[in-house]
Amino acid sequence: MITFNCTIQEGIIPDDLRPELASELARISAGILGGNPDDVSVRWIEIPHGFGFRGGHLSTTSAVRGEIPPGCQQETRVHLMQAIQDRWMELTGCTTAELVVSARDRRET
Amino acid sequence: MPYYRCFTPKDALTFDQRQDIARAFTDIHCGNTGAPRSFVSVSFFETPHAEQPDFSSPYYVDGANRAGRAEDVKQQLLADLTRAFGEIADVPSNMIDGRITENPASWTMEGGFVLPEPGQEGPEWYAEVAASAAD
Repeated sequence: MITFNCTIQEGIIPDDLRPELASELARISAGILGGNPDDVSVRWIEIPHGFGFRGGHLSTTSAVRGEIPPGCQQETRVHLMQAIQDRWMELTGCTTAELVVSARDRRET
Repeated sequence: MPYYRCFTPKDALTFDQRQDIARAFTDIHCGNTGAPRSFVSVSFFETPHAEQPDFSSPYYVDGANRAGRAEDVKQQLLADLTRAFGEIADVPSNMIDGRITENPASWTMEGGFVLPEPGQEGPEWYAEVAASAAD
């Protein structure tokens, strides 16, 4: 199971863009890590205006935090993060300074 | 990364207090670790919230940092953060709790680059971060 928690700032990512972003996260991650895109879960966490800061200033940064199956090779992990970053920037028009992408090992319970 | 999530009761903080806390956290984190200011993210969540971890205090500071710092650095960081939070929010220290969790730096890409391990940043990385922020 692959999950993504996307933390975005209110007003930065249009609502109607979210389905395509979610679909692309599923397509990219399943394509690189294997599995079915339908099994990829994407959650949105919207930070209200005035509640998110970066460097002490109001933030425009989005954070795409993935949880992937443990044991991923670092080369594959970097490939995944790079592909997500490139596609997210392409779709949203944000800069590298406005995006954080992570792919952490899912903790086994 | 670092990412600090502050959980508070509803309407407990004004915008100015949130901004002052975010600035204080940025100062404290960078003062303790040498990280670039532009990397310090602080968000505020009013409880109850779906994102909140388990805690029993009214106020909670939940930090996520790169792994690899000494335990005393982490403890000092958390103590400084919660003290600043209490001073700015005008909340007694016994009403504030917190934690700092860690993940490997290599699991995060920020500013277009995979993060280096703490202490391995080097002048080239700082220059790349500055160039990225200026784009």
